[in-house]
Amino acid sequence: MEPGLDAIVFVVDDDAGVRDGLAWLLRSRRLLSETYASAMAFEQMLQSQEGAGEASPPQPCCLLLDVRMPGMSGLALFDTLVARGLHAAMPVIFLTGHADVPTAVDAVKRGAFDFCEKPFSDNALVDRVEQALRRSAEVLAQRRAAKEVQARVTDLTDRERDVMRLVVEGLPNKLIADQLDISVRTVEVHRARVFDKMDVRSAVELANLLRTAAE
Amino acid sequence: MGLGRFARLLWRLSWRLQGSWRRWSLWLLLAVLVVAMLVILVWLAGRYEASQVQSRIERDTADAVADIRSGLARNVQSLQALQANQPLPAEWGGAAAQLLRVHRELMRLEWRDAGLSLRAHADTPYRTMAFDAPDQELQVSSDTQLTCAAARRLNGPSYSSSYFVPRADGLGLEVVELCLPLTRGTRITGYLVAIYGLPEILSDLIGPQISRHQEISFTEADGTRLASLHGAVRRGTRKFSAQQLLDLPGSALVLRMDSWQGAPNLFPNVLTALVTFMSIALVSVLVLLVKDNRLRLQAERDLADALAFRKAMEDSLVTGLRARDLEGRITYVNPAFCKMVGFAAEELLGRVGELPYWPPERSDEYLARQANRFAGELPPRDGFESLFMRKDGTRFPVLIIEAPLINAQGLHTGWMGAFLDLSEQRRIEELSRASHERLQATARLATVGEMASLLSHELNQPLAAISSYATGSLNLLQQEHLPALGALAGHGSGRPAPAVSADLELAMRRIAEQAERAGRVIRSVHDFVRRREQAREATSARDLLDAIMPLVSLQARKLGVQVRCTLEAGLPRVLCDRTMVEQVLLNLARNAMQAMDRPGVLDRRLELGVRRAVSGERGGWVEFSVTDNGPGIPAEVAARLFTPFFTTKPEGMGLGLSLCRTVIEQHGGFLDHAPGATTGTIFSFTLPAMKPA
Repeated sequence: MEPGLDAIVFVVDDDAGVRDGLAWLLRSRRLLSETYASAMAFEQMLQSQEGAGEASPPQPCCLLLDVRMPGMSGLALFDTLVARGLHAAMPVIFLTGHADVPTAVDAVKRGAFDFCEKPFSDNALVDRVEQALRRSAEVLAQRRAAKEVQARVTDLTDRERDVMRLVVEGLPNKLIADQLDISVRTVEVHRARVFDKMDVRSAVELANLLRTAAE
Repeated sequence: MGLGRFARLLWRLSWRLQGSWRRWSLWLLLAVLVVAMLVILVWLAGRYEASQVQSRIERDTADAVADIRSGLARNVQSLQALQANQPLPAEWGGAAAQLLRVHRELMRLEWRDAGLSLRAHADTPYRTMAFDAPDQELQVSSDTQLTCAAARRLNGPSYSSSYFVPRADGLGLEVVELCLPLTRGTRITGYLVAIYGLPEILSDLIGPQISRHQEISFTEADGTRLASLHGAVRRGTRKFSAQQLLDLPGSALVLRMDSWQGAPNLFPNVLTALVTFMSIALVSVLVLLVKDNRLRLQAERDLADALAFRKAMEDSLVTGLRARDLEGRITYVNPAFCKMVGFAAEELLGRVGELPYWPPERSDEYLARQANRFAGELPPRDGFESLFMRKDGTRFPVLIIEAPLINAQGLHTGWMGAFLDLSEQRRIEELSRASHERLQATARLATVGEMASLLSHELNQPLAAISSYATGSLNLLQQEHLPALGALAGHGSGRPAPAVSADLELAMRRIAEQAERAGRVIRSVHDFVRRREQAREATSARDLLDAIMPLVSLQARKLGVQVRCTLEAGLPRVLCDRTMVEQVLLNLARNAMQAMDRPGVLDRRLELGVRRAVSGERGGWVEFSVTDNGPGIPAEVAARLFTPFFTTKPEGMGLGLSLCRTVIEQHGGFLDHAPGATTGTIFSFTLPAMKPA
């Protein structure tokens, strides 16, 4: 899935030269970027977004994060992102000096997308950034789909939701009727309505849909 | 003032003299007393003997007087018996002659009438006396008259005082008259006069056993000798005399008895005295002996206690003790010493010359040392270190403290040595040194790591930026045919070409800026190094060597390396950063010693030399050299010797020599190495000498 043109790369580095250089490089590869001089500044931006009611970033994005920064360090920022579950939708690529490699590796184990050692091989970095953006786009799309399924499920009546649960469990209509103590005919009606509302054509498709939404 | 001091001095002197004098005077007094006592003893014994003799002679005298008295009394009776029957003068003559024959002491008998006229007389037949003179027969001598008057008065026998009767032959005789009044009723009818010869009285009336040994004589009261009887020869030199008064009615005579005795013999008395003295001496010696024995026993007990104490002390010591006499023979070793070297005491005692615990390779050196010692060279007071060998052949370092052994008479009889096993101490030192070194290395490594990290971070930033700009620019140039980026990135301008070139220009400017920034980082490092250069001071080569010597000798001792320093005389001071140069020297010395730490290298010598190098334009140079006699440096190693991070040691960082070279080059000198004369390597470096002001 292509990230799309609105994908954005956040660059958080205390060094203006590095920041601008990266922005310049990304721009040369036609990627939008926003630069932040400190983890605190980025954190403030995120909080303003969340204040607007957005749980996920509005568009595919990724974060190039310097490990070593005065004030809040890159790792501390990463920890807050992990805590809020943002690191999936906004993959984090750490930028490190050679001495920080072990910490960066550790961060990757905890869910960071990648790390890149300074001085980096720039186009390779941009390639990784693009992959990250794709991941972000996927995650966002998935989330959107899940949200849609969720919305459809909320449209169902209680009885229809019961029937759907049993259908997904793979029970034939007869048994569903027995369990819910309703007639087979009624089950068939509910089932048809569930399929219709959930926009699926088979029980298997319904089960897949629900499973992906649950992930 | 002066006088007072003089007096005090005298007093002190006299006091000191008095001390010994008093002791002697006591002995003297004792001797004088003993002698005086013996003399008194001898004298008293003599006196006693004399008094014995005297009393005997007095007794004899008294006996003699009694004999005489009783003899006279008997004669008086005989004379009275003569007149008993009123004899006729003729009859009387016969009886008188008879009487005279029996009594030799009677010289003459006269019968006189009351008028004292001679009626009859008889003379002794033993002597012819001069009584026959005609006048005598007629007239009465005055003596006779006096005596008869006294007899008449007494109405009893009376004696006259003695008088001398000469004889016809010219000699005479002292005689005494006895007048015996003859009475009839109360009327005196006549007188019987008997004349006694005094010598005859002595010889006849006194018992022969008395007269045999003494000279007996009659004397008058004034001492005039009247008659004497020489009974004996003079035997001795000393005269004992006794006198006794013989009082007779009407007269008195003194009987004197003289005895010539030898002076009481001194010899037996001296013998007695000697025996007495001997006994006294014997008893006192006995007392002294007993006392002395008691003291000796006490002393022996004390000595035994002291010995036991000393033994316990020696056995509990961990310090080894060894005594040697002046010939170098081992006379004593304590258990700690035996334990230390692993030999039994019997194996060591009496050994002389080469000792079993000397490592064979060093025995020459030790023999020389021992010879020095016996030549009278005193060992250092705080001891010296040496290497000993245990019985199993392992070597161990010892600290030896030796002191001369002075006996009670103040004679130097040998040497006493105390030995401390240093191997444990050495091991601990070595451990602590190793751990200290490791710690230092770690710290240094940490510092270097920190520095490298900081430096790399500082350089990474501009480099990263440069790299980004450059890559971006390349990207742009490759994409020149594509629509302008500016539009996409919101950079305003719609014209692609000018936008691209503007972007590129911006990127190039940024690249330049970042490169300059990187340059600043490098310059700051340079400045740091330059600041250190200002820490240079004038230092003498001796100070530099002295500073590292403790550490060097510590390692040298461990590896068995002999260290020698040779300094040229009159070296100028060098201008250097002391700490850094000391590190360089230490580093080179350690490398040298490690190079020799191989089993094959037996003769391990490290030489630190300092000399004046060839002087250059900028004044003199001082050359330091560190020489070892290890195996030398292989050519392939030599080529990479100063390359950073090149090392042949398992734990080395490979920075030592390269850092050394950097330090020396910062000082303007150079560090080089060359193979040694036969084996080994010489590392040398130069430092600028202080210009004379």
